[in-house]
Amino acid sequence: MIPYDVMIKIVIFAVIVATTAVLAKILGLLIKGMFKTWVPAVRTHVQRVVSVSIWVVGLIFAIEQLGLRTDLFLLILGLLGVGALLALRDTLENIGAKYFSDVYIPFKVGDMIKVGNSSGKVIEINPVTTVLLTDDKRLVSVPNSVFVREKVVNMTPHVWKEILVPITVNGDVDLPEFESEVLKACHRMRRYLDDRFPPILTVKGRGKQHVDLVLTLMVKEPSKKNEIISSVNQKISEIEDKIKREK
Amino acid sequence: MMAKISLCVSSQTPLVRFNLSYGDLIKKYGRLSLPINLTNLAEGDDYEFNAGGVTRMVFPLLKRMLDTGILKSPQWVSLNSIGPETITTSGITFHHVQLEKERVKGYGLAKESIWQALHGIQKEGNLSPLLWQDEFIDYTYYNRSCSELALQLDKENDFDLFYIHDFQQLPMAHMMHAIKPKIFRWHIPFDESLVPDLWRHSLASYFNSYDVVIASCRRYLESLKRFGYKGKSSHIYPYIDQDTYKKPSQSEVGEFSHKFGIGEDDRVVLMVARLDPMKGQDRAIRGFAKIKKNFTDVKLVVAGNGSFSSSKRGIGLSKAERWLGKLRELVKALGVEDSVIFTGHLTHKELQAAYERCELTVLPSVLEGFGLVVVESWLYKKPAVVSLTAGVAELVKHEENGLLFNPDDSDDLANKFSTLLTNQNLASALGENGFITSRRCFLERGMKAEAKVMQDLVGY
Repeated sequence: MIPYDVMIKIVIFAVIVATTAVLAKILGLLIKGMFKTWVPAVRTHVQRVVSVSIWVVGLIFAIEQLGLRTDLFLLILGLLGVGALLALRDTLENIGAKYFSDVYIPFKVGDMIKVGNSSGKVIEINPVTTVLLTDDKRLVSVPNSVFVREKVVNMTPHVWKEILVPITVNGDVDLPEFESEVLKACHRMRRYLDDRFPPILTVKGRGKQHVDLVLTLMVKEPSKKNEIISSVNQKISEIEDKIKREK
Repeated sequence: MMAKISLCVSSQTPLVRFNLSYGDLIKKYGRLSLPINLTNLAEGDDYEFNAGGVTRMVFPLLKRMLDTGILKSPQWVSLNSIGPETITTSGITFHHVQLEKERVKGYGLAKESIWQALHGIQKEGNLSPLLWQDEFIDYTYYNRSCSELALQLDKENDFDLFYIHDFQQLPMAHMMHAIKPKIFRWHIPFDESLVPDLWRHSLASYFNSYDVVIASCRRYLESLKRFGYKGKSSHIYPYIDQDTYKKPSQSEVGEFSHKFGIGEDDRVVLMVARLDPMKGQDRAIRGFAKIKKNFTDVKLVVAGNGSFSSSKRGIGLSKAERWLGKLRELVKALGVEDSVIFTGHLTHKELQAAYERCELTVLPSVLEGFGLVVVESWLYKKPAVVSLTAGVAELVKHEENGLLFNPDDSDDLANKFSTLLTNQNLASALGENGFITSRRCFLERGMKAEAKVMQDLVGY
């Protein structure tokens, strides 16, 4: 038979965990709603960071209610973190750079780029390095951190006009319908886009749960890129909501 | 023993077009589970085979490949908004992409503009707006729907390769984003100088999404390479199942002549093509009108109607009807109404009788992917007068197995008609030699070439 006071503690623990879960979910939705115009990848990362932070605080608080000591747990967690940072400093630097290059550095697989003393066609971007194929058919592996430090020149024709918007949709979405809606929304922005290049939605990856897409737009004036990206992201968010509602 | 290839084919034109919807078929027959076996339905009443390459070439190819053990249970994706979602016949399962009427219309209009541009009859300035019209979204929707259906079928069938047909479906490989090998067959003419500048980049990228591109003749392939296609390529002449072309009986030929008002003593020049300005029926009529005074007993028989695109039960573009109206006006203006016969669609039996009854055939196309009707004509040992711009002209040696002419010169065509109608020995020799050449387009030969491409690609 479990003593009454232990039962109470377990119930309080469960209530705190449940409250944490609800709070994490609500904040996630709030972030999604408030930052519709952000690049979806950044928005998702912010959602994740906020969610993990809430869970860490919530769990520590819940564990304390059970009467367990959390200072030792926090010390071990901190030491593990410092150890990991020291041991994986270079790798983490590259992974971090990869994250920033995804969002801010304008090149993709297939582009011709020049970075430092290397130039070639980008054939792979993995979490640690970017692989270039040079004109004389040699492979050059450039650590991702280099792209944050060094000047990068993208030599692909028309690339200065290009906007790439990453989109992730649920695997069960009606892709032809979703694509039609996205293209219609882009057509309404035609006056800002280069007439010669219509918007194109490309599948970049298919998982069991999600389909990764990239929307390619060619702008008339690069100075308007940020406004166009914000507007497109907002439209995509609305389309996603509309499709969810219709389901 | 070689492993059998699991294949997914995709073509815009379906094997059959339905006269009745799935609901109507159920009312008529009661319970009909999917896929419906075509043998349980009535040809003519419930459905008709579509004319053209799908029925004459791709379907016989798959049947023969199944019979010879090269393929296992092929799946075929095509557009078919009327009728059941899936049907089966001869061991092949057909999956139909079904779009709303408005979508089909929009898709058809966009496709037509693309076709015109690739044939050099659409001005560059008109193309930019097309890319921003709702019709182009419908075109994308159709291709995306086919791609998604093909991928869904891949989950169930684990295909070894995909075989996509014709220009309107070119974006499919790019859209699919699948590692499995993909073959593309380009059926229409390809001339890199006609590709609008605006489209060069995206068209090249679509072509380069395929592992192999097959063209109907050597010159299209060379043009494709100059254009920037970097992958493997092959040219395979289109082919027909020669065994399905029988010698009709005297009574069948008599019935055909009677039905279309051809007299016993009439001499017949035959043209077989779908009704389309690009097929050049007007050029045949102009050339024919020039010899009419000297050959009063000759009749020009113009056989064929609209394609799947023109059909109301297909895509619903009405260009065949409009073109027929213009041809009737032309015939009237040239004073040859009594000598030009428009037969409309011919059944296979009637087509055989038409070839048997004629003295010579003409292919006057302005541009023509290939021109299998010339091969059909050769099977009946009939001499053919062939446009220089048609793909099949690559097989014609002038005055050896046919006569070549410039489709922009009606005098040239009239001279060729006169030569064959006057010189029986030459006409007969061209027919005999044409019959020998036709072997290059027999199904067996085409199948071996296609199988080699497929087996090289999948590795067995």
